[in-house]
Amino acid sequence: MNYKPDEGTLMAYLYGELDAPEAEKVQHYLQQHPEALHHVQQLRNVRTALESLTDVEVIAPPVFVDHESKSIPFWKAGYFKVTLGIAASLLFLLVAARLIGPEVTYSNGELRISFRQTPVNTVSEQTLTASEVQEMINHSLVKNNETIASSWEASNQEIQESLRQNLSNNSARIDKLIAVASQASQDQVRTFVAGMQEENLKLMKDYFQLSSKDQQMYVENLLVDFTKYLHEQRKQDLMLFQTRMNSIEKNTDQFKQETEQILASIISNPEGTIKKVNNY
Amino acid sequence: MAETLPDSVMMHSDALLERARQGDKNAQGKLVQLWYKRIYNFAYKFFFDHDMAMEVAQKTFISMHRNLTGLQEVARFKSWLYTIAVNYCREELRKRKASRSVSLNEFPTADGEVSFKWEASNGRADNPERQLRQTELSDLLQQCLMELSVEQREVVIMKEYEGLKFREIADALQISENTVKSRMYYGLDGLKKILIKRNITKEALGYEL
Repeated sequence: MNYKPDEGTLMAYLYGELDAPEAEKVQHYLQQHPEALHHVQQLRNVRTALESLTDVEVIAPPVFVDHESKSIPFWKAGYFKVTLGIAASLLFLLVAARLIGPEVTYSNGELRISFRQTPVNTVSEQTLTASEVQEMINHSLVKNNETIASSWEASNQEIQESLRQNLSNNSARIDKLIAVASQASQDQVRTFVAGMQEENLKLMKDYFQLSSKDQQMYVENLLVDFTKYLHEQRKQDLMLFQTRMNSIEKNTDQFKQETEQILASIISNPEGTIKKVNNY
Repeated sequence: MAETLPDSVMMHSDALLERARQGDKNAQGKLVQLWYKRIYNFAYKFFFDHDMAMEVAQKTFISMHRNLTGLQEVARFKSWLYTIAVNYCREELRKRKASRSVSLNEFPTADGEVSFKWEASNGRADNPERQLRQTELSDLLQQCLMELSVEQREVVIMKEYEGLKFREIADALQISENTVKSRMYYGLDGLKKILIKRNITKEALGYEL
């Protein structure tokens, strides 16, 4: 027989959780295998030893039990609230009706609502003629016109009076202002003229100073230019003079040479030359 | 086997759960009274720290109050509650790792020094001597448990001390039943080795066994 219980089966056997046939099989196996039986016995001893570890006594903390009943009292129920609301509204209406005393009547196509009084026939049964209506209109128009005219006149007077008053006030103010302004303007003119004079004087002074400076500079420049011109002219004259002197010198040399040649020829041929001279 | 809720209470708690699920505050308060000790002890064994266990228990029950109306099957309440508790335990563990803080409980008490765990001692002890020995033994076993990996530790505590079936643990941890059994097997095997290493033999536990 090859049956060998596994660890799980041994545990179930140890804790008595195996069904009877399975437990019998394990027991049979253990009887045939002393080493396995010894091992199980050791585990059983461990279990016995573990029993020495006892429970610790502890007191459960107090639990606050909510005694509030789950059932809702009838006065908190929804249907009761609705009914109570309707009843209260009706009661309010009845009390209000009692205090105000409304009366509603309907007759000849007319709906009449009144409070604490019987309805009065407010619509006149007699009808007015066109002329009467016209007269009423005219009368009211005349009255209206009169009222308008009187009010217009009164307002006109008021306006005129206020205008007059305003004019007088304004003219007085303007006069005052003009007086102040004229006073102010005289002073201003005087100050302005003085300022102008001063400014002109300054300008003139500046101008003369400036112009004298310019003239001086111009004259200086002119003199410089003239000097330059003279210098140049002199230079040119000198050059011309030099040139002429050179040409004179040249001519003199030439004449000298010619003279020398003549003299030489005369010396070399004195007779001919004498003759020639004589011929002349 | 650890102390679990009496069956009568558990049977009665189905109706209680139904009322709590429908928003009955009284029923929800009663649920807290019934389950607080279990969740606290689960977290305490997980952390070996009173403050953190209190924190997790409180968060778990606040979450239970908020989300109980959304619980579809009343039969799954136990797994559902432990799922919340395990998630908060893991969250606290992550926070502790991030802050790298060390609990005072992790330091061994000096010889002769009065145990700081006197407040959390077992009331069933008959006399002070027995009480002291029990406390020392509990601490010793708790330290052994703390040497297991987180995955093995949560399975061992759920099975050994909370009395959940493998199917319920699988449901709470949202893993397969076989994985739960495997973790349990290696958890017990690991504890066996730790007990041998620490020289905690049957003879040492004899006075208690």
